[in-house]
Amino acid sequence: MDVGISILVWLVLSIVLVFMLLTGFAYTTLLERRVIARFQSRVGPNRAGPQGLLQPLADGVKLIFKEEIIPASADKVTFILAPLLAVIPAIVVFAVIPFGSSIELFGVKVPLTLAPNMNVGILYVLAITSVSVYGIVLAGWASNSKYSMLGGLRSSAQMISYELAMGLSLVALVVVAGTLDLNAIVEQQKQVWYFFLQPFGAIIFMITALAEVNRAPFDMPEAEQELTSGYNTEYSGMKFALFYMAEYIKMIVISALSVTFFFGGYREPLPLFLTQALPFLSVDHTPLLGPLYFGLKIIALLIVQVWVRATLPRFRYDRLMKFGWLVLLPISLAWVMITALVVLLRG
Amino acid sequence: MAAKAAAAPVAELTGPLAGLKEKFGEAVKPGDFEGVVINHDRLVEVATYIRDELGYDYLTSVTGVDYLAQNEMEVVYHVLNTRAGGAPLVFKARTPRENAVVPSLITVWPGADFQEREAWDLLGIKFEGHPYLKRILMWEGFSGHPLRKDWKEAYYEQDVKPFDSRWPGGHHRRAEDRVPYADNVNFPADFDPTVYTAQADAAVYERFKNYEVDERGQFVPKEAVKDENGNGKFQEYLETDELVVNLGPQHPSTHGVFRMVVALDGEKIMHLEPVMGYLHRNHEKIGERNTYIQNMPFTDRLDYLSSMSNNFGYALAVEKLMKVTPPERAEYIRVIMAELTRICNHVWAIGFLLNDLGAFFTPALYAIEERELILDLFEAVSGSRMMCNYFRFGGVARDLPVGWLETCRELVFNRLPKKVDELDYFLSENEIIRARCEGSGVLTGDDAVKYSTAGPVLRASGVAYDVRRAEPYSIYERFEFDVAVRNHGDVYDRYLIRLDEVRQSLRILQQALNQIPEKGEIQAGKKQYSARVPAGQAYGRVEGPKGELGFYVVSDGTANPYRYHIRAPSFINLTALGPMSVGQKIADAVIILGSIDIVLGETDR
Repeated sequence: MDVGISILVWLVLSIVLVFMLLTGFAYTTLLERRVIARFQSRVGPNRAGPQGLLQPLADGVKLIFKEEIIPASADKVTFILAPLLAVIPAIVVFAVIPFGSSIELFGVKVPLTLAPNMNVGILYVLAITSVSVYGIVLAGWASNSKYSMLGGLRSSAQMISYELAMGLSLVALVVVAGTLDLNAIVEQQKQVWYFFLQPFGAIIFMITALAEVNRAPFDMPEAEQELTSGYNTEYSGMKFALFYMAEYIKMIVISALSVTFFFGGYREPLPLFLTQALPFLSVDHTPLLGPLYFGLKIIALLIVQVWVRATLPRFRYDRLMKFGWLVLLPISLAWVMITALVVLLRG
Repeated sequence: MAAKAAAAPVAELTGPLAGLKEKFGEAVKPGDFEGVVINHDRLVEVATYIRDELGYDYLTSVTGVDYLAQNEMEVVYHVLNTRAGGAPLVFKARTPRENAVVPSLITVWPGADFQEREAWDLLGIKFEGHPYLKRILMWEGFSGHPLRKDWKEAYYEQDVKPFDSRWPGGHHRRAEDRVPYADNVNFPADFDPTVYTAQADAAVYERFKNYEVDERGQFVPKEAVKDENGNGKFQEYLETDELVVNLGPQHPSTHGVFRMVVALDGEKIMHLEPVMGYLHRNHEKIGERNTYIQNMPFTDRLDYLSSMSNNFGYALAVEKLMKVTPPERAEYIRVIMAELTRICNHVWAIGFLLNDLGAFFTPALYAIEERELILDLFEAVSGSRMMCNYFRFGGVARDLPVGWLETCRELVFNRLPKKVDELDYFLSENEIIRARCEGSGVLTGDDAVKYSTAGPVLRASGVAYDVRRAEPYSIYERFEFDVAVRNHGDVYDRYLIRLDEVRQSLRILQQALNQIPEKGEIQAGKKQYSARVPAGQAYGRVEGPKGELGFYVVSDGTANPYRYHIRAPSFINLTALGPMSVGQKIADAVIILGSIDIVLGETDR
């Protein structure tokens, strides 16, 4: 393929991806507010546009026009840099996540992954998600406020402890899959999802992923009841919106990762006999269905996250650490060993 | 006008009071009320005797009264026996107005802490021996002691309402127009508002162990903190400091403008100091300007979540003076309203405790749903959902509307019991709730009595004291109910006891709704524009949702109360907050506060 065309394809694809993520972020907020309202016997935002569909737009406009306040005693450069450091890794992770196989467009074969068949895909994911903690820690430190600092400290401790268990749950997956390439992992789940082969791994991954993105019940760094708003207490306007954006994009990212690792990625979520009877529902037959299936799976997992938030109170910080180190870590270690043993015995 | 009640001294002292007289002789004199006046040189001694020998282990109310005409200050104490129940024992100490000094009883009843500070703040009575006699509701830039009868507020108009300017014939002129430059605002002699900065509130930090105030009024860690062996603590090998965090006054989980100054070692609380008064409007001074009936709607604004109970307490106190009893139907209506209020308040408290635990509003909104239905009932009888203003001296304001009882029965017999079980089912056994609540903020029964905590806080610590049972008022002795008690005294028990109390309230309500006469008077005597209250003094108390709510009213026979004091349970329960929180994590401070269940309208008054 011509280099020029492939660069063009790459450019268009990344623009589309970023645009979809940003829209996805906006509508995830709406989804969360509407779904949580249902859980709480309320209606939720339904005034701006039909069914409140323009609410994210209204929020965005409001936040853009808010006054930007930088505390006098803050470290200005870091203070401005921190929200960017939080958002960028969240978006960048998406480069390796396949959201479809590949489609033919104007005679050009377009892979529906930004960086397809990257042979260190999982390592890349782990590396980038670890970077995102810097945004929060630096925000906490740069604000020069006690609440922010406590929030930042909490998040660094929390992320480090939970990343271990998360990494181990992926090790077990890699042992089974025999590859670090995300596209390959998805293709391997054509017949049976890894969720059924790796139930413990999947559950541990999802729990730690919740902790990784600071969602309830692990929303320690921004524990409203204790730390007013944690690391983003001093932020306002668009900078605050960026943190908000980072959180919701990370929600989408971990849903996408869970789907890719354990729920068959963009593969059709349909039983085998159905795709045999109606072959056009299969991704192999109609590659354009890939992103659709992928999106539906992500939304399902997002709703699970909202459900958890609407249901559970927050852990206390010290218990959270205990849970990470004394429960999740041993279980995931044991799970890695069991998986390895089984793989070894089966040859 | 400060004519003191002219009743003759009660010559015969009976019961425990006679014993006091016998033991202490001349130091104890009978007063012109049901109680004694004690010489303040032997006050602590007599108080200790009252506590240890007579069994009055619980100090419920301390307040002062300024008798301008007699040039005398009176400190009034009400003490209770939590084991035997019964009416409070009243004793007083008298002191001249200038340089008013009374010995502090904080060593006998530590619960006197906040109330003595309040009496100093508002009345200028010094309590000798109180370790921390600082203003508690007012700020340091406040001049004088507002509850003194000769103290005039900045926009002073007249001593008592109705003000001439608001009366037919008069022309209302706003106070701000009469004094446009606010040049009648006073500051203490050594206080300059132009140089005042918030950092000067070093007074708050004074009690912090490892901190001191330097010469600039700044708050700094002490240089060397030594342990028992004289070794420096952490500083020698590791630079660690305690971190002082101000939770509040603007903070999402202080339930209003309340502030907790917390010293943290990591996330552990080393010291906690409650700071209040941000919502203070001197309710009592305004109450003394008001006429008796004007205070009825004003009590709604105390604990604005349970206005019916506030009405109840005030009505009882004034009815004691007026010697009227409400007719049968009115009594039932009152009990029904008070118990509905309790349910309202408790489901709210449970919902928001869960919110403090970090559950994102779901339990709170489920709880509020039930509260809304009860507020509908309040609205139907009183016209207002929260500020009900429904009780009157000797009855209630209006009869129940047609169909009200049916709606109420449907709610009480069918819906609410199910909903309480639902709350119980979803919340009580939740792993995270149990892990966080069990064992945090423990208050032992002895401490609960010592710190004068009341209501659910007291009963969750294993002290079965309920005013409805200890000194039944209204018609509570007719109903069958249990005093809910839990024994661990932690946050979890304070949560459970609210569920228990809601269930008991439902029992009372079911009996009351079955027994209430279909027709009947709802107001004793004829309706009056203004209540005629004979001279005297009375302490009316009810078991409010937050604890014992007492109104101490002194009448001099005029249309306005001479003294109008509120024993606010939210305020006094906070005495125990510090002791309960030390050693816990910062996240626990929030739920401990939530489990005490305060409303700032009542705390700050």
